[in-house]
Amino acid sequence: MEFTFNGNLIIIPSDVIAGWISAIIALPIALYWITKKYYWPLVWDYATSTNHRKVGTLYILFSMLFFFRAGVDALLMRTQLISPENQFWVFQGEKFNELFTTHGTMMIFFVATPILIGLMNVAVPLQIGANDLAFPFLNLIGFYLFLTGGTIFFLAFFFNAAPNMGWTAYAPLSTDSFTVGPNNNFYIFGLQVSGLGTIFAAINMMATIIRLRAPGLKLTRMPLFPWATLITSFLILIAFPVLAIALLLLQFDRLYGATFFLGELGHPVYWQHLFWIFGHPEVYIIALPAFGIFSDIISNFSRKNVFGYTSMVAALALIGLLGLMVWAHHMFTVGLGPFSDTFFAVASMLIAIPTGIKVFNWLFTMRRGVISIKAPMLFALGFIPTFVMGGVTGVMLSSAAADMQFHDSYFVVAHFHYVIVGSTILASFAAIYYWYPIMTGMKLDDKLGKWHFWLFLIGFHMTFFLQHLAGLNGMPRRVYDYTYDDGIWAYNFISSIGAYLMGFSMLFFLWNIVKTHRKNKQVENDPWNGRTLEWSIPSPPPEHPFEKMPIIERRDMFWWAKINNKQIPTTENHRATPISTPTIQPMFLSAGLFILSFGFIYGWLWMQILGGIMSLGTFIIRAFNDERKSVYEKEERENE
Amino acid sequence: MSSKTTSQDLFHDKKTGFFIYLFVEAIMFSTLFATYIIYTPPQVGPHPSELFELKTTILASIFLLSSSGTLLIAEKGLNDRNMKLIMAGIGLTFLLGAAFMYFELDEFRKFIMEGHVISTNNFLSSYYVLVGLHASHVTFGLGWMIVLFIQGKVLPFNLFKEKHKIFNYYWHFVDIIWVIILLVVYAPYLM
Ligand code: HEM
Ligand SMILES: [Cu+2]
Repeated sequence: MEFTFNGNLIIIPSDVIAGWISAIIALPIALYWITKKYYWPLVWDYATSTNHRKVGTLYILFSMLFFFRAGVDALLMRTQLISPENQFWVFQGEKFNELFTTHGTMMIFFVATPILIGLMNVAVPLQIGANDLAFPFLNLIGFYLFLTGGTIFFLAFFFNAAPNMGWTAYAPLSTDSFTVGPNNNFYIFGLQVSGLGTIFAAINMMATIIRLRAPGLKLTRMPLFPWATLITSFLILIAFPVLAIALLLLQFDRLYGATFFLGELGHPVYWQHLFWIFGHPEVYIIALPAFGIFSDIISNFSRKNVFGYTSMVAALALIGLLGLMVWAHHMFTVGLGPFSDTFFAVASMLIAIPTGIKVFNWLFTMRRGVISIKAPMLFALGFIPTFVMGGVTGVMLSSAAADMQFHDSYFVVAHFHYVIVGSTILASFAAIYYWYPIMTGMKLDDKLGKWHFWLFLIGFHMTFFLQHLAGLNGMPRRVYDYTYDDGIWAYNFISSIGAYLMGFSMLFFLWNIVKTHRKNKQVENDPWNGRTLEWSIPSPPPEHPFEKMPIIERRDMFWWAKINNKQIPTTENHRATPISTPTIQPMFLSAGLFILSFGFIYGWLWMQILGGIMSLGTFIIRAFNDERKSVYEKEERENE
Repeated sequence: MSSKTTSQDLFHDKKTGFFIYLFVEAIMFSTLFATYIIYTPPQVGPHPSELFELKTTILASIFLLSSSGTLLIAEKGLNDRNMKLIMAGIGLTFLLGAAFMYFELDEFRKFIMEGHVISTNNFLSSYYVLVGLHASHVTFGLGWMIVLFIQGKVLPFNLFKEKHKIFNYYWHFVDIIWVIILLVVYAPYLM
């Protein structure tokens, strides 16, 4: 569609128009539905509550929404690639670049990372016997930063300005000499705002695990999901600040004429270093929590404790440590020299050792166990072979010489989808089925869950297995077209069908949720006959489930108490519970940052100033509205 | 739950969290230091030794570093619950910090008047981003001290004490960063 506005010719592609129309139709319907069902108080409760379970549920809910959006991008890409010389709708050239950029960026930053943070929020405090996270207020702030960043990034499409430089934002393509217009500013600010939220979440998790564990729950007795959370938080604390500075420098290049990554003075390769010092640990940031989840689930559904607990923890730590050192294996082809290539190749291959240990420990955990195959366990079972395949191709890629061939081909696309979908996505589904009683007090339907699993897994392997072969046959990544002569038609055709199948499987998941909430049947306590502390309390838990803190004397204390018919001893006199009151300050902050970001994206100074004042204003409001004030006053009076 | 310990427990939580946050800041500054080292001295354009002035640098440093000292006065008052001492400490620290900012901004102003701006070369870009980020930390700290002044009057003492202590960590941290800036950014080009 074309029209003139202020004397400028404005062209709006039809997909953007379709997006606007569907938003304009869907939004009023949603608002009407909420009003009609009297859900506003519920919405308000969740929007202002700082309770970890509610914040976690929100994280998961919005990550799932972004998952559907990024999934639609994927399906559009697969449709464009379904046959050679295809001209699907408008998705060729620049538009296809926008598709893979928004797909990749959203999946990493607004799906995989936040959904795991959401699961940590829901489960970690309960697994360590704490009443809440250490900083409930900061927790809600973190969530709003994620939501704001995600929304900024999401809106780019509606202004026909979706980022188009790939999720890695390689310089010099990402500088304003090559990609003009606001598009890639959306990337910078969407990631900057949400990244800050991720950092806050990591600080919160770490402080919680260090300080709030139940008496006697030594680190050597802690379940593996909190362990994974602890190590992941450490990785976040190193990776995300580097990303923040990288984005800041890129912002100076794009908006203020600096040339860090460009021209004769700057180094494009410096961007790659900064990006991958963040980017490679990020892979483990989304993989380690998945490992933790699977460890807990596999042990629960096999009725056995985790095989080789200590080696499991050591492997987590080792993977985390090595993960920080291998970023340059993404840069074999930029010519860092044989010494560097060798070092990074060897270090990368070493990661296979602790990963292998974990795989064998999972298998040994199941050996001779009483395995009950419920939906969560099914996802765990699907994870192991899928992830192993991703690991094998990972070792292949980490060989510098071979990578020269594989680099930027569909082999790489297949590899990282095996790893990411195999670990993070399967783990998230497993965990949602597993912890749904904690989040809502209801259990999802197991039969529908199994349909979801099988269709998803079959669709997944159909989609991505053949992409290895397409890659080996020379199909480069990030292209929207190929010819009949390339001999990769069949691979692409089947791959696209598999992608539709995965999309279809998600309908079962949606239907499952709708059905469960229609039935609204509350579960009994301890619905999975669990081992860890989160099952020792009612589902869903009250705001402060451990009014009396449990005293932990061994690993799997709850399980031990159950089979020995004992009570877990509790203590009256334990440390203070974090104070949590509903607040609208995070909403105000996110409004400020939203305005600020748009000010920068479009270069409007007045908007930057307004947003800046609002954001800084939150600090002042907060300084005089501390939820601890009344508690401290009371304490002072009592101690007089 | 014994109410005696609530504020202590929560303060320790907060301290843990804030130290982790400072670790995050340290990583951010390290990345900027790396950037500065990579791009300095520049291949073209003004050389740092032509720009930096010994006098401004030394004066600015004296003011900022002694402000960590005056903050100790406030810290002492905090332990003795002596509001006068606290306010005097914050007031002095504020003045010294403001004096530092005066020299800092004067340096920026001078460079810009001479035409040495962000886009001149990569040395200047890294200089502005690194030193500018530090300067905005100092500015933020100045605002924070104004807030502390008022908080001292309206918050329960234990809560005020907690907030004050957190500020102290922040301010000392910002000072340490300045020392590293002195060593990395200025010292090699002033001799
Ligand atoms: C669920 C089904 C999925 C399908 C059908 C799918 C499909 C695709 C396709 C066709 C591409 C473009 C490849 C190229 O042209 O280079 C792509 C890229 C990518 N995908 Fe997916 N994907 C899916 C899920 C995911 C998930 C769950 C994640 C991460 C959590 C993910 C992360 C990425 C990334 C990071 C890229 C690279 C984008 C870029 O090149 O900038 N994908 N995907
Ligand atoms: Cu990597």
